[in-house]
Amino acid sequence: MFNPFDFAAHPGRAYLVATLLPLLPVLLLLIAATIRNIARSRSGADSTASRIYWLFGGDQPLKTGGYLSLACLLGSFALSVWGLVHFFEESHVLRDKPAELTERWGERGDWLRIGSAKGERSAAALQVGYRIDQLTALMFAMVTGIGSLIFLFSLGYMNDEAQDRVADHVAHTERRGRFGRFYLYLSLFAFSMLNLLVADNLFQVFIGWELVGACSFFLIGFYTERKSASTAANKAFLMNRVGDAGMLVGIAIAFAAFGTLNFQDLAAKFDAGRPEAISHSLWILMGLGLFLGCVGKSAQVPLQTWLPDAMEGPTPVSALIHAATMVAAGVYLVGRCYPLFAPEVFLTIAYCGLITLVISATIALVMTDIKRVLAFSTCSQLGFMMLALGVGAWTAGLLHLLTHAFFKALLFLGAGSTIHGCHHEQDLRKMGGLRRKMPITAYTMLVGVLAISGTPFFSGWYSKDQILSGALGYSLTDNRHGLLFFGALLTAGLTAFYMFRLWFLAFAGEPRDRHVYDHAHESPPTMIVPLLLLAICAIGIAWGWPLWNAEASFLGHKLHEGEPAIRGTQFAQARHLAEEHHMLAGGLALLAAVLGAGYAWTCYGKQAPTAEQLKEPAGFVAEKWRFDALYDFVFLRGTLLLAKLSAKADRSAPEHPRRFTLDGAMSGLATLAEVGGRGFRTTQTGRVRQYVLVLALTLIGMLGMLGIFGR
Amino acid sequence: MADLGLAPFQILAAFLFASGVACFVTKRNAIGLLMGVELVLNAANLNLVAAARFVPGLRIEGQAFAVMVIVLAAAEAAVALAIFLNFYNNHASVDADAADDLKG
Repeated sequence: MFNPFDFAAHPGRAYLVATLLPLLPVLLLLIAATIRNIARSRSGADSTASRIYWLFGGDQPLKTGGYLSLACLLGSFALSVWGLVHFFEESHVLRDKPAELTERWGERGDWLRIGSAKGERSAAALQVGYRIDQLTALMFAMVTGIGSLIFLFSLGYMNDEAQDRVADHVAHTERRGRFGRFYLYLSLFAFSMLNLLVADNLFQVFIGWELVGACSFFLIGFYTERKSASTAANKAFLMNRVGDAGMLVGIAIAFAAFGTLNFQDLAAKFDAGRPEAISHSLWILMGLGLFLGCVGKSAQVPLQTWLPDAMEGPTPVSALIHAATMVAAGVYLVGRCYPLFAPEVFLTIAYCGLITLVISATIALVMTDIKRVLAFSTCSQLGFMMLALGVGAWTAGLLHLLTHAFFKALLFLGAGSTIHGCHHEQDLRKMGGLRRKMPITAYTMLVGVLAISGTPFFSGWYSKDQILSGALGYSLTDNRHGLLFFGALLTAGLTAFYMFRLWFLAFAGEPRDRHVYDHAHESPPTMIVPLLLLAICAIGIAWGWPLWNAEASFLGHKLHEGEPAIRGTQFAQARHLAEEHHMLAGGLALLAAVLGAGYAWTCYGKQAPTAEQLKEPAGFVAEKWRFDALYDFVFLRGTLLLAKLSAKADRSAPEHPRRFTLDGAMSGLATLAEVGGRGFRTTQTGRVRQYVLVLALTLIGMLGMLGIFGR
Repeated sequence: MADLGLAPFQILAAFLFASGVACFVTKRNAIGLLMGVELVLNAANLNLVAAARFVPGLRIEGQAFAVMVIVLAAAEAAVALAIFLNFYNNHASVDADAADDLKG
């Protein structure tokens, strides 16, 4: 009997329980919503139904679902902290016995066997299972921790949704509140994300991957009445499909070549370079396919256009899904699949990250919507992580993933608090001077700004410093890739500039719009408490001793224990050089950040921004490097053009027979069915004796075939 | 009897079955068809009873199914005869080949 609570023999099952816990509110909310809807539709005529409807809060959605979801996620968080502590304890005790550690912290079983066990090749099977290692343990704690804070924050932020009538000022309609639905989606998302993290094989990761994509779709389009929101949801979904197609190709190649999708088994095959089972070109294709999935999910060029539009969703969603956790899944998977990539794939990853981080940072410079600045900043930071992974700085990239999650969640929740306080005003140009009205939001956000800029002793410093020294080391081993370091360095400066620009525009100086300023207010405690907690994490999450040594980060050391052994000495020289020139990289990064922040101060902080600086941004950069226009031209117009041409061909062709057109092809199918039917009709003679004869002959024939081939 | 084994009974049953099918295929008279069906069913019954005698695991099952087949055969004969009566009322014949009103 499988006992999920048998933590003594299998402490990893705590993670299993923690993963399934958020599914509970999903099911309960679904059942409750169904009962409520049925009761509502019958409440006029039936008094029992009205009473049940009244029990569920009547026209006003109950907030119970929110509290329940929060409680369940807090439970998951508690379990994950318990697991984190125990795992690191045991990984220390059992460090010489990796097999025993794996056995205690992971289990797996066949879910679907493919083919029979006959013949030489043993039957392949799709497996399900979980395995906890350092990366999973840390990511799990991060997701549940930040998730809990954001669930708490949403209780305040989504308060409007608990009213019976909600006025949507964008779509100019009035609708019923959707408090329960919001938490249903959030909880489903939490479950999917956790499933993705504990999975020990690519197949299960793919399931989680698609589920988080679906949740992201639901939540971006949460305000369904708004055209922009539903379009953005579609866009995100379609863009992710492109990436997922690549990922499926990668998974299929891995399964065809090795017959397993388990991470450990796959990694073991690559211990000594490329195995015989796979050709070099297929190996590259597999890596590129898997990476394309990560490109879609982590919004890297060329599939980055969905992330900024995803800001149409409610702000806590932006914080949870589109900044802290889901978009990090791509980086996580690259980190997970690290042993499987060919050298060429690593180079692709590095350059893809570089292009993304530079392009997104330049766009963030000119955006005026507070959430869009943060969205592009997220793209850019994800680019940093990809760059780090591409140049072999595994620990640095994933450390940045963890620290970034905290300060980006903080920044987004700060932006949410600002937007909530300003009555849904998101335009930076109409803000200004808000620090006097909402001091806690302003100063916690300043912490986030300092962290993301890479100020010493803030968490962002430790990770960014390591990324830059990794990039420098790689560039020094091979001079042709010098751009990797200088691009990252430049962007470190740009990051400081646009983040301080945001803060100065929103919170410093004099108010620019009297109306917004006069009605602004500080947010309720449910929103302030998460901000404060996240601010503390954004400062201290990566601390180690000594504090002033960026490489002494405790979190970084713990993460480093989980680093997969990279084949051969691919990055050995780069790492050596990175450690040697660590001070140089750190110093240059700091200099770039100070210059960027200083320039932001002279432009927006020292004096009030001029009218020139506040005018509507225009031009190539403000149009997001015209990626949208390009895709519109190539794919949308191309499809429409093809459709128009085909319609024209149909119309101009003669009525009968209509060949070589789309309509002709469809009619051809119909004709085929008709002719076939007429032919088979003649066999239906109506003579019972004939039927029996055919039946008997068929039986004899089949028995004969069984006798001949069935041996 | 005990040392005869299962095989002779099965051969007999197969022969009966083949005769039944042959009867069904060659006869045009509807009553003849019914007789063919009866032969096929009895072939199955013989198999079941023989299995009940010689296969240890089917002691009860073989006999139970044989009884069931007998009941089934009676019901089938009743329904078939009713159909033939109606057919005779409409067509004044029991020729099975005349019953092709539903052909395609």
